[in-house]
Formats: sequence, C-alpha cells, structure tokens
Amino acid sequence: MTEETVQQYAYKKENASFPFCKGCGHHHYVNHLDDALVKLNLDPKKVCIVSDIGCIGILDSLFATPHTFHTTHGRSTAFATGIELADGILNDSRMKTIVVIGDGGATIGLLHLVNAAMMNVDVTVLLANNFLYGMTGGQHSQFSPLDFVTPTTPAGNIVPPMDICSIVKTCGASFVRQAAATDKNLGNIIAEAIAHPGFALVEILELCTEWATPFNKIDGKMINGKIQYSESDSTPGRSDFSSLYKEKVLGAQKKNVDDTITPKFTSPLQGTRRIVLSGTAGEKVQLASFLFMKSAISSGLHATQKNDNPVTQGSGFSVSELCISSEEILYTGIDEPDAVIISSPEGLKEARANGTLSKCSTNTVVIAEQTLPEFECPGKVFRLPLRAICTGNRAALSALASLNVKKGWVSQEALVEMIDTKFKEKSLLYHRDIESLVPLITI
Amino acid sequence: MAIVMVENNEKTMNPSSIKIRTGNQMIAEGALHAGCQFFAGYPITPASGVYKAMIEQLPQRNGVAISAPDEISALAYCVGASGRGAKAMTASSGPGWSLMIETVQYALMTELPVVIALVQRLGPSTGGATQNGQADILFTEFCTSGGYTIPIFAPSTPQECFEVTTIAFKWAELLRTPVIILSDKEVGMMSEDVDFAQLKSSPAWYRKEFSTQNGKEHLTYDFQELADVPLFSPVGGNYKVTMTGSAHDKRGTLQKNSSETLDVLIHLQKKIEAHIEEMAIVRVDEQENADTLLLSFGITARTAKEAARRANAEGKKVRNANIITLFPIPETLLKEAARGVRRIVVAEENMTGQYRSVIQSLFAGKEIVGVNSVGKMITPGMIMEALV
Ligand SMILES: Cc1ncc(C[n+]2csc(CCOP(=O)(O)OP(=O)(O)O)c2C)c(N)n1
Ligand code: SF4
Ligand SMILES: [Mg+2]
Repeated sequence: MTEETVQQYAYKKENASFPFCKGCGHHHYVNHLDDALVKLNLDPKKVCIVSDIGCIGILDSLFATPHTFHTTHGRSTAFATGIELADGILNDSRMKTIVVIGDGGATIGLLHLVNAAMMNVDVTVLLANNFLYGMTGGQHSQFSPLDFVTPTTPAGNIVPPMDICSIVKTCGASFVRQAAATDKNLGNIIAEAIAHPGFALVEILELCTEWATPFNKIDGKMINGKIQYSESDSTPGRSDFSSLYKEKVLGAQKKNVDDTITPKFTSPLQGTRRIVLSGTAGEKVQLASFLFMKSAISSGLHATQKNDNPVTQGSGFSVSELCISSEEILYTGIDEPDAVIISSPEGLKEARANGTLSKCSTNTVVIAEQTLPEFECPGKVFRLPLRAICTGNRAALSALASLNVKKGWVSQEALVEMIDTKFKEKSLLYHRDIESLVPLITI
Repeated sequence: MAIVMVENNEKTMNPSSIKIRTGNQMIAEGALHAGCQFFAGYPITPASGVYKAMIEQLPQRNGVAISAPDEISALAYCVGASGRGAKAMTASSGPGWSLMIETVQYALMTELPVVIALVQRLGPSTGGATQNGQADILFTEFCTSGGYTIPIFAPSTPQECFEVTTIAFKWAELLRTPVIILSDKEVGMMSEDVDFAQLKSSPAWYRKEFSTQNGKEHLTYDFQELADVPLFSPVGGNYKVTMTGSAHDKRGTLQKNSSETLDVLIHLQKKIEAHIEEMAIVRVDEQENADTLLLSFGITARTAKEAARRANAEGKKVRNANIITLFPIPETLLKEAARGVRRIVVAEENMTGQYRSVIQSLFAGKEIVGVNSVGKMITPGMIMEALV
C-alpha cells in the first residue's frame, strides 16, 4: 500500500486579532469551530460559513479560506437553506453549510430555524447563546435567564428563557446538543454536528464579559448547570430535504396535457361582445365561461376571461366576465354588457352590488332565473325557468349556449364540441336544456 | 462591462400555437424560458398563479420549486441559491413585498441576481386581495435604505409577462442585481388567448463567471470602472467568496468609509445607470403631429391604447405609449415620445399619480395631467375625457 500524504487544510486567519471584548465567550466559539474544521479536514472551498448579525456575526472576518456569507439579522439560516438546496439538489452536494448565529438572531429569525429543522436541511447551526444582545448594548433577549439584569431589565428579567433545543427537537431536528463555550470537547461536538447529514443545532452557552458578568452573578459553573442536552439527540432514518427532494419530486413526470386550441371553426362576429355570468359558487359559472371562451378561440376569435368570487373561494357568489372579439382585445373591462346571465339569488345580489345591472343598456340581453325577485334593469330581460330546466349546475352554460344559438357569436358547433368533450354522456342533458331554452329567448 | 451570452435557447415555435393563459402563468413560462432553476414561493392572491405554475413545471425540468414558510424566507432562499450559482425567482404582492424589503437590499448589496415578480393588489395593508391596484410603484422602487435604483419592468398582457420575465432575468444576471416584474391583478389573473408562436423574448443570459484565465486574484466585488459588474464565482466554487450586506471593500471585508468602500457603494448605482438606455422599453403607437401624449403601463396601457384609437378616430391627435421599463426611468424614450406635444396625460390606477410624480420634471413647459382611480379599473371613457 502506498502512503498518501493527506493535505491538512487551514481555516482561521493566522494571527488574526479577534474583534471581541476581553474574556468574551465568542473567542472559545471561534477556536472550537476552527478545531472542528481542522478535525474534519474539509476542503475549505466546500465549506460556507453563513453568519448572522451581532458580535458573533462578525466572526466571518476571522476565517481565511472557507466561503463566508455575512447576512442580515436572524436570516442566516434562511440564506443557508437556499445555499444548501441549490448545492444539494442542483449541484453535487459537495458543501457543508454552517450557520453562525447569536441568541438575538435566533429569536428574530426563529421561524427559519424551525423550518430548517422541519425540512431537515443539511445545515449546521451553531448558536452562540450569551443570554443578551451584545453588540447593541447588552439588552436582554428571549434567552435571558429569570432575574437577569440588563439595561432593558433593570429590575431583573421576569420572563422565563426560551428553550431552543426543545423547540427544534419538537420540529424534528435530527441532531441537538448543548455545551459551554469553555467545554474542552466542544470542537468534537461541532465536528459531529457538521458531519451529521441533515439539520443539526448546537447551542453554545457563553459569557458576555461586557454586559452579563458585571451586573449578574453568572459564571462558568452556573452555565454548566444549565446544560440539559448533553447527549446527541439524533433522529435516525430521516432523509435530509435535498435527498428526499431529488428522490420524490425532481424529474417526477406529470402528464402534460397539450391544451393548444386549433381555430378550426369560424364565426361571423365583427367587433367585440362583452358578457357577464353571475351566479353561485360551486354551480359551474366559471367553467361555463371558460368553455365559451375556448369555443370563441376555436372560432378564430380573441377572448378574455376574468373571474370574481368572495375571498373564501367556495361560497357565495361567482362572477365571470368574458370579452370575445374579432379584433385584438384592448380594454378588458365591461362598461356596457351585451349579455348578462343571472342564474341564482347570490348572482342577482352581486350583479346589483357590483353595478352590472345599472351598466346595462336597452341593447343588453339579460337572462335571469324566473324565481328571482323583481329587479330594475334597462336591458331586455328574459326571466326563464333556468333552475327548473337545467338545475343550478347547468344553468349558466345552458343559458349562454342558448343565447348563442340566437346570436351566433361563437360557432355553435365549436361550443357543442366543447360541451360533448367536457361532459361526455352527461352532455345530452345540456343538449336537452338548450332545446327547451332557445324558443323562450324571443329575440 | 461583464456581459456574456451563454446560451440562446430561443425555441423555434410552431406556426400557430394558441393556448389560454393568465399573465401569472406566462411569468412562469418566461422564467422557464430564461433558464430559472430555483423558485421559492408563499401563497398570496393575486400572485399565487406564478407559484403554482412553477411548482408544477420547474421540478420536471430538474429545477427546485419549494414552499417557504413566509416571504422573508422565500426571498432569502432565492438569494442563498443565487449565491450558489442558481438563477432564482420568487413571486408575491404588496403584503409579501413588505416582508421582502430587508432581503432585497441584501441581494442588492451582495450583488446577487434575483427576480421578484410582484402582482399588485389594492392596498394599504392586506387591502383588497382580489381588487386591482397600480399603487405600489413608489413602494417598490424606493425601498432601499441608501436610495438605489432597482430595475422594474411592467407587463400589460400575458405575452408581455413572458417577454418581460426573460428581460428581467437578463438584467438581473448581467448586472448582478435584483430586478422586479411589477404586474397587477388584472394582468396576472385574467386569462386570454396567447399565441406561443408570436412570443417575443430575450435570449437566456448568465452572469459572467470569474476564472483565473482573467489573470487576476478573485475578489468578490471586483471592478475596474465604477460601472463594471464584478465577475461571479459561486460559494462552493473554486475561489473564496466573501459575501456581506455590510459596507465592504472589493474583497468583501467590512470597512468603514475607506475610499474603496465608498467606491463600492457608488458602483452599485453606477452599474445600473450605465445601462439605462439599453434597459429602456417604451412602446409607442406613432401619431405624427400629435398634440397629446398618452402614457400608461400595466393593465391601464391596454385601456389607453383603446382610448387613443377612439380619440384618433374622432379626429384628435393622440400619441399613445406603453411604458414597459418603469425604472430606471427611460428618460430619452419618454422625451422622444413627447416631441411636439403640448399636453401629456398619464393614466395609472392609483390615487395620486405615482409614476407621473417621478417623470413630470422631464417635461418642462408642457401641461401634464393624470387620469387616476382607486379600486376601479380606469375606463377608456375616463381617459378620453382627459384627451381634450
Ligand atoms: C433587523 C435588525 N434589527 C436590529 C438590528 C440591530 N442589531 C445589531 S446586533 C443586534 C443584537 C445581536 O445579538 P445576538 O444575536 O445575541 O449577538 P451578540 O451580539 O450577542 O453576539 C441587533 C438587535 C439589526 N442589525 N437588524
Ligand atoms: S459585547 Fe459581549 S458579546 Fe460582544 S464582544 Fe463584548 S463580551 Fe462579547
Ligand atoms: Mg447574544
């Protein structure tokens, strides 16, 4: 066996002067992260340190060889997620992405941690918890212990601290650990977390010598006493997100239906006609509009369709506005409809409310369900037993198709073909509806 | 300037291939045509159609389309992916855009290309989800602390949604900057016949990559002239990348007020300004001897075109122009369109004439009036009244 010389990579800048206060826990953090990288001996070009904001966030400047991404407050995990997905799914999954974040960053960006844990993205989060916002002047954070005195909790903190390990564990994090920044073994723990495939979080408990120790009785011993997650808490057998995505989603072939429309019919229409269908959600109003639009396009016309319904999509009114034209359609609104079809009480209510009725002229043909209450409208109104003949579900389309028999706007042959293709054997019902309705539209 | 064309995937399309599509679906089609590889979305009416179409189509083309837990994450995922080298896009509307403003500035500062499709609805706050608006013009453009130009393109038809999306990707990639497609509910959600054989598009471009063949050390934000675009190298690639949203030198080192750092800050704006003319698109319906120029964009541009036709048929002299590039303001083309006219009418569906307010200084000595509306489409009649 030939002995290969393995290159040992370096990561941290040589003789870098640390930007932290004397005694700050971030010194240990940086050194242990460097230890971990040295231990793993990863090619630094395949490592990206994604740092957050705060004193801990400026650690990126201490690393000479890995890629660094110094981000915005709390968002580091979200940027890292994007890097990892692009690396793991679009590339060769070569990278190790490490998030460097403080307790402040962890709360402002909590959702990103939660979601990364849930997705199990292959990202390692090293959370420097010094119980406060160091950089901005030692204000308390959601990680501050009870009774903690800071400039913003002069009487002592009265809200218990967040347990981030338990939060991400609940969210399915596959690796969770806690350790003191001074723990001799921290380098090994970080190395283990980085090597772990999938989401890993290590909460590193630290002292801020500028703001924590001067005003609180807090020392290494107390910090050690806070450690609850000392064994690696791994959830085995859970694939990381990128692997799962590649396996289950990527390249999954869905049938692509060819929805090209061939204009094989013709229409004598010159100019533009504007039609409003006003009915009830769930009664196929928008489908009627869509099939009519398709028939118009099959007849060589241009067409636009827009739908409206209340914010809750499946209840209340359903309105569809159609324009069909022998010319390019420019203005897509309806100032004076050529036809209005009102197939239900909800449809009438909305046609009143949105001004459709008052926009009608004496040229407008209005086909309305017979049982609706009386309404004011300048148009030629035909009150027909739509619901009795067609039931609510076919009322809009059957009424529109019947009107088209009289008007010849789109090719009736095209419309019948659309109905037959869409409704198969049930299309007979539509044919019957149309036979009954046409004689009643006496224009 | 670092421009390279890597691929021209212009399809040879059928003689006629008509499909029914919404503007939102055509933004997705345009993104695929432009080579988008990464999409992250969060639902919001009226932009969800883009999200849905990308989820359906991108993974089939071996791209990533994922669901984010909020818009902050959606854009941050995209920017992270862009740093790893992917062409990325997200889509939203006013309320979601509110959440994206921190991250769009990060993309601008770190010179990471990303395309954001915003489909406007009625504001403020949650406003009207299913009502139209063109009232996020200033909100979208003037969102950076520091006052930087973000290119914004506004489509008025599904066809233009396709075209403008390919153009947005082009400039995002070539200038390494966030670019916004500013659509609106009417354009985004209305369906229409679209002949795919007639679609216009920009060829697909990719940011120019750094290689040692350039004979220089890799600096993340390197440039010679202020307007140059730094050559790109992805994180995970062969050259160390130093990204930062804080003020930095060319190497990416955090700095306070060094002259190089100030140069970097100026460069971010200069690289955009150097391409104002190339980015400018204003579509003019020529009318010789016009005495009125009618300006609009988005859905209102269609209405304006109709109003101008009707007015001209009545013997008026109206030149109509559809402004596709809202920002950087296409000054030369707008002035050219205004040649000889006495009066300028700007039609836009917002209360105070937002776009009018930023262009009116271009037209000294001419009368400039607005046609405006809130929560209701501008009609051809409303515009014709202003075409006196
Ligand atoms: C959105 C936003 N809000 C506020 C700030 C100001 N800020 C800078 S550092 C910091 C606190 C950082 O605390 P932590 O993450 O715990 O890091 P530490 O300084 O304690 O290491 C804050 C609030 C910011 N940069 N961005
Ligand atoms: S302020 Fe606190 S956290 Fe920041 S460097 Fe100083 S000791 Fe460390
Ligand atoms: Mg802190």
